Amino acid sequence: MKLRILILYVLLLFMLAFQSSNDYLFQVPSNFPKPSYDFSKNALTSPKIQLGRALFYDPILSRNNMISCASCHSQFSAFTHIDHALSHGIEDKIGFRNAPALMNLAWQKLFMRDGAVNHLDVQALAPISNPVEMDENIVQVASKMQHTFIYPQLFYAAFGDSNITGENTLKAISQFMLTLISANSKYDSVMRKEVLYTAQENNGYLLFKKNCSSCHKEPLFTNDSFMNNGLSVDTTLNDYGRYRVTNNAKDSLKFKVPTLRNIEFSYPYMHDGRMKRMADVLNHYTSGIQKSKTLADELKTPIVLSPNEKVDLTAFLLSLTDKTFLFNSKFFYPKELFLNSSKD
Amino acid sequence: MRSIKGLIVFLLLSRALFSSAQSDRIKVSINLNISNNELILSDTTGQMNENTSFQIDVLKFYLSNFRFYKNDTLVFQEHNSFHLFDEAIPTTHHFIMENSENTTYNKVVFNLGIDSITNVSGALGGALDPTNGMYWTWQSGYVNFKLEGRSNKSNTRNHEVQFHLGGYASPNNSLQTITFNVKNLRDIKLVLDADNIFNNIDLTTQNHIMSPCKEAIKLSKIVAQSFSCNQ
Ligand code: HEC
Ligand code: HEC
Repeated sequence: MKLRILILYVLLLFMLAFQSSNDYLFQVPSNFPKPSYDFSKNALTSPKIQLGRALFYDPILSRNNMISCASCHSQFSAFTHIDHALSHGIEDKIGFRNAPALMNLAWQKLFMRDGAVNHLDVQALAPISNPVEMDENIVQVASKMQHTFIYPQLFYAAFGDSNITGENTLKAISQFMLTLISANSKYDSVMRKEVLYTAQENNGYLLFKKNCSSCHKEPLFTNDSFMNNGLSVDTTLNDYGRYRVTNNAKDSLKFKVPTLRNIEFSYPYMHDGRMKRMADVLNHYTSGIQKSKTLADELKTPIVLSPNEKVDLTAFLLSLTDKTFLFNSKFFYPKELFLNSSKD
Repeated sequence: MRSIKGLIVFLLLSRALFSSAQSDRIKVSINLNISNNELILSDTTGQMNENTSFQIDVLKFYLSNFRFYKNDTLVFQEHNSFHLFDEAIPTTHHFIMENSENTTYNKVVFNLGIDSITNVSGALGGALDPTNGMYWTWQSGYVNFKLEGRSNKSNTRNHEVQFHLGGYASPNNSLQTITFNVKNLRDIKLVLDADNIFNNIDLTTQNHIMSPCKEAIKLSKIVAQSFSCNQ
């Protein structure tokens, strides 16, 4: 029984492999710039993406085999930790930050809210080793997987080598994450001149371009830089953002500008998840800005938005929701792989 | 079946390679000097003077980017040149560089640690695979040099001493370049003098470095200066 499923699966992988050049598997949306990820060092193939998807959903990556990447990054909330201000991991230990939504990672250069991670490939090492997230280490992960029935075969199918290395594990996880492209919101359709905005959305778009897009830059809705957007310091966390990495006073209280795509579903907001609703966010920008040395120039004079304008701006932000991303079956839990295949 | 064919092809190819070009092999071996004893991990205690003793539990470091010069002209550079020395694994205490041309040189240069470009190149394999335990997880970057042990001078719990030296980005780039003017050696014997490292650190105040910082740079320089080479 197991064997039949495996044979079927391997056959499927082979079929997919024939049409699997990087260009086919990674299509740059027509309204997007060139990605920053260097695919020449890790060209996408279907078997590698499928392996990465299995790893992303498999709690084998954690010490007690209970927490997977998806525990904190679930698809229906744009791969963030829905409802949790601070993410919680192994044995329900509370983390330090809010889990960011994961999408369009191929266009990002630095990762984490403070940019502590310099390449997507090595990102997974952080949650795997974090004592309040997965509390495991990559040596153990590789060794646990080597002793399973399925993984040596999946690694062989992907890399031509059933010996599981850290490099191949990380590259496969990266491959799956690189495929998480969100570029099918109403906004994108409008940009591709397929549909039109309503008058309200259009007004919201104008307000957005005037007040927000210097940081939340189109079409990715982030300029991939670190900014202080005027949040007060939570003294229970004392998180100074980018400063933790650079130790440079100029970076104090700066956090990565997050994308606003799928913002409707990725609440709560900000690095510590302090805001639950979009209205809280807009009120912050109009009347909650805390002055400090590193506050961004754009926010030094308060943004003025009337109640009606806030509604319009919100209508625009909702047009960034991409249902084809949130419900794309390619990103689902790979049940065809995990059911019927015991782990030992 | 395929693997047997592959093996035959491989054997034929390698024969062809070895017989045609006069291959030139440069061997590098790395030894440790600890109070003039050979080190056996967790076993040998160095006694530098009456007051200071130390014991090494873990000693791992990268030597990389070996290049050879003749009167300042580059004559040979090892391709994919990353070597992880691990005191606990004797096979890592020497390695051989194959050079297809028979070159003469009078200067060898290499790095202690991993260069910044490699540090931002994502997941890498072999000596650079993160399963080697020389990669920081919470903040990207390789640990260039790792020394863990004990010294009576250190007033930490169990007299522990822990140095994880790394950092590739300015202003905390701790990569060191080591140069030796040597004769045209085919058998390079490097010696790392542990006494010299410990003699130059005040273990009462400095016994713990775990992230890129000024102290890491300072100590990396001391480590680099503690290497010597046969002439
Ligand atoms: C316990 C919850 C938790 C788990 C488990 C977890 N993450 Fe995360 N993830 C977070 C948090 C919190 C952050 C933000 C960390 C920070 O900024 O310091 C994050 C950040 C990220 C980022 C950076 C996104 C960006 O925009 O910079 C990526 C990519 C990511 N995680 C992928 C993964 C992968 C892959 C796994 C599994 C190997 C994983 N996560 C497991 C909570 C988690
Ligand atoms: C000076 C740059 C800047 C400007 C201008 C700016 N933002 Fe932000 N925005 C940020 C930063 C930085 C963060 C992340 C802060 C954090 O993580 O604590 C952020 C976070 C957000 C979030 C939360 C996203 C999430 O996933 O947690 C929303 C929503 C948002 N901004 C909307 C807006 C809107 C709407 C405007 C215009 C009214 C705007 N921003 C203007 C820099 C800016």
